[in-house]
Amino acid sequence: MTFSDENLSAYADGELDEATRAALEAAMAADPVLARRVARHRALRARVQDAFAPVLTEPVPERLLAAARGPGSAERADNVIAFQARPRPRWSWPQWGAMAACLIAGLLLGPLLLRPSAAPTPLATSGGRVLASGVLARALSQQLSSAQPVSAPVEIGVSFRARDGGYCRTFVLRETQSLAGLACRAGTAWQVVTLAQSTTPGAAGGGYRQAASALPPAVARTLDDLIAGEPLDAASEAAAREHGWNP
Amino acid sequence: MPVDGLREELVTLLPRLRRFARALARDPHDADDLVQTAVERALAHAGQLRADAPLAGWMFGILRHAWIDEQRARGRRGRVLAAGVAAEEVADAAHGAPLDSIAVQDAVARLPEEQRLAVALVLVEGLSYKEAAHIMAVPIGTLTSRLARARDALQAMLGEPDGAGG
Repeated sequence: MTFSDENLSAYADGELDEATRAALEAAMAADPVLARRVARHRALRARVQDAFAPVLTEPVPERLLAAARGPGSAERADNVIAFQARPRPRWSWPQWGAMAACLIAGLLLGPLLLRPSAAPTPLATSGGRVLASGVLARALSQQLSSAQPVSAPVEIGVSFRARDGGYCRTFVLRETQSLAGLACRAGTAWQVVTLAQSTTPGAAGGGYRQAASALPPAVARTLDDLIAGEPLDAASEAAAREHGWNP
Repeated sequence: MPVDGLREELVTLLPRLRRFARALARDPHDADDLVQTAVERALAHAGQLRADAPLAGWMFGILRHAWIDEQRARGRRGRVLAAGVAAEEVADAAHGAPLDSIAVQDAVARLPEEQRLAVALVLVEGLSYKEAAHIMAVPIGTLTSRLARARDALQAMLGEPDGAGG
């Protein structure tokens, strides 16, 4: 069997079909000249790749970042914590998505997202996901459940590691509607996976409560589904924050 | 898909788009112009991106069109060779930039357009033949033969790299 240059080129690119590949490998074992031709194809591929690879680590010019982010991007960056728009596989929990979509489809989210634009909203949608933004994103990233200002607009409940290793936190939005939810770290953002109206007539009383006790059943169920082991204690929570909530 | 989500994904993709454009346009400034054009076109046509389609492939396709448009315009104006750029880079190389990269980039820049596209998509960006053929809107067989011819031409221009013999 003879092999064309196209065969050898496709082999070097890992694109040869199984049968031809096996035949070629057998032929290469017996024919050093053929093996050398293949080696040259492979070396060329690596050489071309290496020649352009440094472009990836160059700083991206500001004008390109501005073109991608669009007008007012500086302002947006302030209100919405940067996020990975497409969830990585480990964050694509279909059942969560369904659950969140279900809850969110109701009256809960509308008022928050459609609020007059002057006030930064605690939630933002992106690529079909609901992300924490504004005060909520800041609280999820920075506020420790062991040391919460009574006047803070967000109350963090428990922080825990999900079964896939990522960090998640429950929260209550104290202002207005007393919504409770659960968010998980997704890249540099917090994806809100469950959101529900707090069942206790809560914030009206004004007193500080353990947030976990105020969690609506839907949020509590999500927590039970996701949690691996016990919630984080104060020290592990502080350490997680220290590491930017990276698993 | 929603424009906001697209914007964030584009930011993440910018380094790869710049690399792909560099393989096509050679001159870094021209390459970044192409990326900018492609990003603006993508945002203007965000509604055409299917939610399940890979963004990188879509963007490479848009960038390819922008490059082809630019080549046509340049052809009408008379071809401008980037001799000045090469001289600058050789000067940079004296300060440690790898000479082999310059040689390889120059060789790629001398390939005919269609071969250069195949090299940029498969060798530089690491796409499969199927993905690359789809972006170039040609059958896989056509892509395969363009790649083989491009490799021949590159080998002829570059010879064996130092220390890679044997």
